Amino acid sequence: MPPELPVRPIHHLENVMGTVVTIDVYTTDATAGAEVSRQLATARAVLQRADAVFSTWKPHSPISRLRRGDITCAQAPAEVSEVLEQCAVARELSGGWFDPWAMPGGIDPTGYVKGWAAQRALGAFRASGVCGVIVNAAGDIASFGGLGGGQPFRIGIADPFSPRRLAEVVYLTGAIATSGTYERGNHLIDPHSGRPTARVASASVTGPDLGLADALATAIAVAGEAGLDVIEALDGYEALIITIDGSRRWTQHFPLAPREASG
Amino acid sequence: MRRTPIVITATLAGLVGVLAFHTTPAKLTLATAPAASGSAQPSAAASPGRSQRGQSSGGASSPPRSSPAATAKPGATRTVVGPAVNYNFGVLSVSVTVSGNKITKVGIASLDDGGNQRSQFIDQQSIPILEQETMQAQSGNIQGVSGASYTSAGFQQSLQAALHTLGFQ
Repeated sequence: MPPELPVRPIHHLENVMGTVVTIDVYTTDATAGAEVSRQLATARAVLQRADAVFSTWKPHSPISRLRRGDITCAQAPAEVSEVLEQCAVARELSGGWFDPWAMPGGIDPTGYVKGWAAQRALGAFRASGVCGVIVNAAGDIASFGGLGGGQPFRIGIADPFSPRRLAEVVYLTGAIATSGTYERGNHLIDPHSGRPTARVASASVTGPDLGLADALATAIAVAGEAGLDVIEALDGYEALIITIDGSRRWTQHFPLAPREASG
Repeated sequence: MRRTPIVITATLAGLVGVLAFHTTPAKLTLATAPAASGSAQPSAAASPGRSQRGQSSGGASSPPRSSPAATAKPGATRTVVGPAVNYNFGVLSVSVTVSGNKITKVGIASLDDGGNQRSQFIDQQSIPILEQETMQAQSGNIQGVSGASYTSAGFQQSLQAALHTLGFQ
């Protein structure tokens, strides 16, 4: 029998960044509600701010103005330099397979920003009275804690060949991002050729930070199985890929969970 | 996570509505859906292609979590369908279900992609939040789904309007 959840989570849907971000707060303390509401408001503001600064769809956003050359990086809000610096780190760590500077149409940190924003939103929550929080930005998930009582969160990975089914289930510690061609058609660009490409059906990366996990998932979706070696070399990050023929490959410590609830 | 039977039923009915638009139902089976019984089973159990791990997915060893039918208040659940809006590949509308003052479901109420093969492929492969929510409703023991994101501006637009109608935001 699966153990009962401690309480129903406080569930919030935020319409932002061209998608829906869900926030679930698992509380152990019934009186935490007011404090959680304040933290939730902060988290929502973080997401909306990220959207306002980094939306490439909004012509007047700082990132759009930077892309057009209307402003310099120094003239943009501070988050822009921060994100670009972290994109450079992600490019380095991914062996060049993630490269916002190689996108057609100029620099585009979108592949990093969604995860970065969700991770920042998660930072609005504090552990007091809360046993775990999940910020799910349309399938890229930042979290801390768990269900309470030492039970970790269990997160499904959508089956790239049949999104109504789960391909795998993982025990989540921190973040998980999944990238693949099924999402919006073939939108992944190989930075080495500048062309759309994908060598796997989907790629998932777990690790402490969702921004980096998101960038790395994009990178290995482009790199294919060779990308697993890149992740294997990174402390704290693990990866699973589902190949075009439906088989699985994963790094040594990828946190796969048994399909059925144990116990 | 518990879902009331009423909400699950509404979601599955909505899902069937989406499925009816597509011409390749073979790819769109709902083998693991608990129908309207209100019981919850892990939807992962029936997924194929796991031979790499050499691990059987087992039978239905996990007992379904019984849903508290008695707690479902018919008057407390409301579903609103947002306006039909254009999106990249056609026209769609979003439905939102609230229970009391909480949003419990977001899904596609209608979707017309004009029969274009490319767009049908994308629709089928990128089934949105509805899918994730449905999977979570079926799998009482997972707290989220990674992947299968849906980022249509049309989805956002219709959702916004539906939320507004319900008095949210």
